[in-house]
Amino acid sequence: LGAAGPGQPEGVDPATLPRPVGEALERALVAHSPGDPANCSPDNMRMTINAIPVSTALKARMPLPLGVVVHPMADEFYGRQVPVVQLSSAGIVRCRRCRTYMNPFIQWTDAGRRFKCNVCAMLNEIPVEYFSSLDQNGRRRDADERPELSQGTVEYVAPADYMVRPPMPPVYFFCIDVSYAAVASGAVATTAAAIKACLDQLPGDERTLVGFLTFDSSLHFYNLKASLTQPQMLVVTELDDPFVPLPDDLLVNLRESRQVVEALLDALPNNFAGTSVVESAMGPALQAAFMVSSHIGGKLLLFQSSVPSLGVGRVKNRENPSAYGTEREPGLRNPDDPFFKRYAAECSRVQITVDVFAMSMQYTDLASLAAIPRYTCGELYYYPGFMAARDGAKLTAEITHNLTRPTAWEAVMRVRCSKGLRISSFHGHFFNRSTDLLALPTCDPDKAFAMEIAHEEGVVQPGFAYVQCALLYTNSNGERRIRVHTMAVPIVSELADMFAATDAGAMTAMMAKLSVEKYLSSRLDETRQLLHSRLSGALKEFRIMNANAALRTPNKLIFPETYKYLPIWTLGLMKCAAFRGGAKDVNADERIAVGHFLMAGGVEAVARLAYPTAYALHDPSGPWGMEQQDGSVPVPVGVPLSAAVLQDGGVYLIDTGRVFVLWLGRSMSPQWCVEVFGTDPLSLPQDTSAVTVEPGRDTPMSNRVTTLLRALRAGRPLHQQVFVVRQGSPLEPHVLPYLVEDRSPSTQSYTDYMVSLHKAVLAK
Amino acid sequence: MDFAALEDIDGVRLTWNIWPNSKLEATKCVIPFASIYTPNKRLPTMPVLPYEPIPCKQCNAILNPYARVDFYSKVWICPFCHSRNHFPAHYQGISDTNMPAELYPNYCTIEYTLPKTVAPHPPAYVFLIDTCVSEDELGACKTAIMQAIQTLPEYAYVGLVTFGTHVHVYELGFTECSKCFVFRGSKEYTSQQIVEQLGMRGGQQQRAGQPAGGPAGPAPGPQRRFLMPLGECEFTLTTALEELQKDSYPVVATHRPARCTGTAMQVAASLLGASVPIGSCAARILLFVGGPCTEGSGKVVNRELTEEIRSHKDLAKDGAPHFRKGKKFYDGLAQELVAHGHSLDIFACALDQIGMAEMKDAVMLTGGLTVQTDTFHNVVFRDSLKRLFARDGEDGFLGLSSNATFEVIPSRDIKVAGMLGQAARVDKKSPYVADVEVGLGGTTTWKLCSLDSETSVALLYEITATANREAGDAQSNQQFFLQFITRYLHWTGELRCRVTTVTRRWIDGTQIGEVITGFDQEAAAVLMARLATHKMETEEDFDATRWLDRALIRLAQRFGDYRKDDPQSFNLRPELSFYPQFMFNLRRSQFVQVFGNSPDETAYYRMALFRVAVPDAMVMIQPQLTAYHFNGPPEPVLLDVSSILPERVLLLDAYFYVVVFHGTTIAQWRKAEYHLQPEHVAFAQVLAAPQAEAKEIVRRRFPVPKIVDCDHNGSQARFLLVKLNPSSTYTSATPMSAEVINTDDVSLATFTEHLKRLAVQS
Ligand SMILES: [Zn+2]
Ligand SMILES: [Zn+2]
Repeated sequence: LGAAGPGQPEGVDPATLPRPVGEALERALVAHSPGDPANCSPDNMRMTINAIPVSTALKARMPLPLGVVVHPMADEFYGRQVPVVQLSSAGIVRCRRCRTYMNPFIQWTDAGRRFKCNVCAMLNEIPVEYFSSLDQNGRRRDADERPELSQGTVEYVAPADYMVRPPMPPVYFFCIDVSYAAVASGAVATTAAAIKACLDQLPGDERTLVGFLTFDSSLHFYNLKASLTQPQMLVVTELDDPFVPLPDDLLVNLRESRQVVEALLDALPNNFAGTSVVESAMGPALQAAFMVSSHIGGKLLLFQSSVPSLGVGRVKNRENPSAYGTEREPGLRNPDDPFFKRYAAECSRVQITVDVFAMSMQYTDLASLAAIPRYTCGELYYYPGFMAARDGAKLTAEITHNLTRPTAWEAVMRVRCSKGLRISSFHGHFFNRSTDLLALPTCDPDKAFAMEIAHEEGVVQPGFAYVQCALLYTNSNGERRIRVHTMAVPIVSELADMFAATDAGAMTAMMAKLSVEKYLSSRLDETRQLLHSRLSGALKEFRIMNANAALRTPNKLIFPETYKYLPIWTLGLMKCAAFRGGAKDVNADERIAVGHFLMAGGVEAVARLAYPTAYALHDPSGPWGMEQQDGSVPVPVGVPLSAAVLQDGGVYLIDTGRVFVLWLGRSMSPQWCVEVFGTDPLSLPQDTSAVTVEPGRDTPMSNRVTTLLRALRAGRPLHQQVFVVRQGSPLEPHVLPYLVEDRSPSTQSYTDYMVSLHKAVLAK
Repeated sequence: MDFAALEDIDGVRLTWNIWPNSKLEATKCVIPFASIYTPNKRLPTMPVLPYEPIPCKQCNAILNPYARVDFYSKVWICPFCHSRNHFPAHYQGISDTNMPAELYPNYCTIEYTLPKTVAPHPPAYVFLIDTCVSEDELGACKTAIMQAIQTLPEYAYVGLVTFGTHVHVYELGFTECSKCFVFRGSKEYTSQQIVEQLGMRGGQQQRAGQPAGGPAGPAPGPQRRFLMPLGECEFTLTTALEELQKDSYPVVATHRPARCTGTAMQVAASLLGASVPIGSCAARILLFVGGPCTEGSGKVVNRELTEEIRSHKDLAKDGAPHFRKGKKFYDGLAQELVAHGHSLDIFACALDQIGMAEMKDAVMLTGGLTVQTDTFHNVVFRDSLKRLFARDGEDGFLGLSSNATFEVIPSRDIKVAGMLGQAARVDKKSPYVADVEVGLGGTTTWKLCSLDSETSVALLYEITATANREAGDAQSNQQFFLQFITRYLHWTGELRCRVTTVTRRWIDGTQIGEVITGFDQEAAAVLMARLATHKMETEEDFDATRWLDRALIRLAQRFGDYRKDDPQSFNLRPELSFYPQFMFNLRRSQFVQVFGNSPDETAYYRMALFRVAVPDAMVMIQPQLTAYHFNGPPEPVLLDVSSILPERVLLLDAYFYVVVFHGTTIAQWRKAEYHLQPEHVAFAQVLAAPQAEAKEIVRRRFPVPKIVDCDHNGSQARFLLVKLNPSSTYTSATPMSAEVINTDDVSLATFTEHLKRLAVQS
């Protein structure tokens, strides 16, 4: 049973608190071993509690959510090949009633002529072409040759009846702000250069289509017809009623029009050099971009540098501190203008995903703008006050990652679960097209979703329950595919089994997504309260369940082993920029950006944001930061996130998944300083905002640091910049919120939180 | 009187050169009292004075040779209002031996240079190109334009606007890549919206404060972006033209392309209006169009091919659904152009109509030029376009000047009824306005945005004198004066004022024999042609043939020699002898007989008629036929089928086309190539002479006429035959109404017979 918690609540020894640090973190993030070896990988689907309660009564005793975190393209994330089921004459064999796909948990009867659906229990005939005899265990003899019968994750090549039109090509439409701010900050030049550098790596080979639209106080379309020697810029100034000035050639085949496209990207920064236009007609530009690509869909990448000031969707500064703590507060996190949701719905309808690169110096009302990527499975990148000299590498890397990652097009996703169960809620960035069908105009390996599972009836049949996720999409080669993940989950009848089967990582991800959902409709304090009360509620059940143990240790907070890191992750979520404090604690756009990140992220990303990883970089011992034979790069020793732990003589790297903070102790090693910064600590300025560790200086320590950074960044959707901060400098307060364990004016310390959890558990 | 010789001196022709001194007698003269004046006529001997004219302080007439001058007291008496005017101080040195040029008796037409009131600006051209034509047509159009551009001076300002489904305005000042602003073809824009959308808001105001002087200072700010000196944007402009593609919107087989000509013209007009200060330069919109407007403002026809483009029949029975609305739009556009002093030229190269009938007034009011032909490949288009840019001293130089204000000052007892010509009315009070208004009336001042050396305006007068006028001073009873004052921007960039003062004689109107000696048959025919077509367009159910016939009969009745009811006794005085023939040809011409032509063709011909001077208009009304043969020099022959002989080459100049017609024998010889044999030099000359004359006609005429080279029995021969009097056809014996010569296509002889009979009827 549960490990004993800290001793006297009043005298908690912080050192004894469990922390997801170092190897402990690695263990903490590992999912429970699957209930059946034929399950899909937990990377693809991961239950918050890997046990389905047999009854609603039992489920009602568990305050923490029961559900699944789905990461449909995790295989690409981890670089794994998905076995492909080739199209056969039998077609795709599915349950006639519930449309479940063939999977390893299907039961065969009648000597292999019929199967019983593991999801709805329906007895199905099979096509003769699909017949195989069974072995003595009732297993099909061909099971091992057929991936769909032996593996939890397979991909079907979909026949024509899974298409409503011919598979679309990859489409990238770039909608770029070219107002004064965009040009002056270097955003236009950086963006154009980054796109140009990616042209060879865009998925889709000779089928890929690209198009461009730039905007300031007017809209600029580009005729990129292959026969032209230079692009032709077409300016439309009608913002109330924008129109497309050409019927074709605005969205062109990249290969055919490559030269014109490159000419445009080369010319773009010059085209607007010297502009004095400060206005930005973002809304009309989005409408125009929609008109250009609505017949086909694809990705629309919006690069927004100025405050949208003209036409539909222009920003009103509505961030209002006095609304915090009132019922008007959640409204601030929702779109102001119905345009945004309507636009998002239209985009979803025509298979357009919108990615937003928000780079404005001022408040841009991301709460409104974010609705578009939210409903279209898009990204929200945030570069407050973008400056190319400082942020160019980040923008370049993120554009590159976005454009070159594997991408699924015109996708829909459906998750089915066994008879007696149902998906009761969906969380993530999509548009809910019908009760259980999620429209994902595009999807990619960076996107995760969460679904809560509820009981349809009072009781379910004991044994196993099944969850199957099917992602129907068009791959970049123009093939229609169906990726199917299937998982068996044991059905349990004891609460203790549920505690034991709790997956703290998945649970944290689920809670993060629920909290984002919550903060859109409730105040921040209510959102934090939700996190706290569900955790304390569960611990209270646990204490009741373990009444005896509790009696023996009245002053001890007891929790199951599986819950070891839930308190700190929960506290971390409460303290992250999405949910922390009030109006003055986090700027409104940053809050929305972090919320979006949490909603999209998988288990690791959420856990890392909740409790960033901190490494001690001053200690040269060990092989950290040195690339090994197998290409891996060991990481340094992890340290807890508390100022008390950070030594004056140390140097620490904090990795939040969004940024890196390099914290330099007051009396750091001069040699370290010289090796990494090229100067001794005395000469290093207090204001380190211009101090960089990259590019490296070709000293042993500098090489190790840069190698480590590169390794940590690998595969992540965001390119983390390194903010260098000196202990005690005026910049230091900006990074203190990442020291999750410490108290701040508006947040509790880890110890305090444990005490308040304990109090809540003991409360009647 | 040799009226043509007089015209050569002053550029003036009068329908009557002796005027009856009473209103009553004047009305009996049937043909209106009118002048046809060519204000920018090239007069090689005309002096250009480097100073400003001296106006009469009372009536504003300019000092002229007819003023009585008292050199002793330095006073001149205005011949118009008889006011005494003191000469200004700097004229103190004048004497009868030291006269200023404007007083020389032979300098009745003279020019002054005026100080500039607006900073000068180089000429500006907006090329407005239709892209809804085939690639081949567009290619031909582009080639012609690029060739024309090469002849433009580097300082000339150019702009490029293209149109199809939408309007594209090229920002020629933008060099990073091709850039244009797009306006929706189907949308209605105000000028202000267009200017704002082009980012030229307030441009005009900024320019107003710019200091004058210095040739063509660079325009500040955004104005430069669309209209620029050719020297600065030639690469951008030619690249844009080279890459210009056919409108890419798909067109289904059952539809016409979406062509927003009207919106495009509106955009071009607004752009030009905002780009150059009023009155600073010659500014033209050159429209190159290959089909009808089917989209947006000024629509001529719907896109569905099932709907046909309006015909004269449709117009007559009000069955042209878009016509009024379209015309109203283009008329509004014309007013805008006139306000800026800009002109519209149309190069219509299409088999179809393009809407010239609707656009006519936009050309007329702005003094624009038009060329109408079947394809952009046609040499008529190519060479005419070239001619538009010909420079002084080059072949076909048009002498295009601009921004003219034209004013007429008449003597007492003469009022101005109106104008028929390519001009726009200027609202300005004047004591000389007649009660009855004809054409552009109600004023004595007009604006001519553009005028070439042929542009000729007809003015109609009303004689208001009563017979028993008090006896004033002797001169006023015998002579009357007309003064034409044209202030304009000369093609050299100078601001000029041309003053023509003519005098003619008053006479007692009952002296018919005297009055008729002053009758200019050609001027009268041309005036009646302008008046008849004007009435056809403005008066409902106007029957031009009937009206012309009635006037002819009444003229014959009044001025013919005959015994009542004896047709055989009828005899026309020589001063009138050709007039019936002119009328015969006029009523058969395309100006009156519209039904064989499309409304666009009719509009085109009428615009030309309203532009040219009397001799050219006469060629339009009654083509000239010249015979070339072995027996002597070429000679004019009757416009009659009897003029066709086997051993003749005929040269027909029908103004819009020139036919070289080879008689059957000549044709055979030519086919046998006798002219290439040295012993047949004479034959070669007979062949060559009409060709040379045809080339000479082409060289001096705008638009360039089409040349038809044909043989007697060739299919092209119809171009000649259609113009010939059908003398050898049967004589119709149709009964006649009381006063109309009822003809369908009768011969001149029959026509004259009828005239005689009706003239002598009591
Ligand atoms: Zn089923
Ligand atoms: Zn006077």
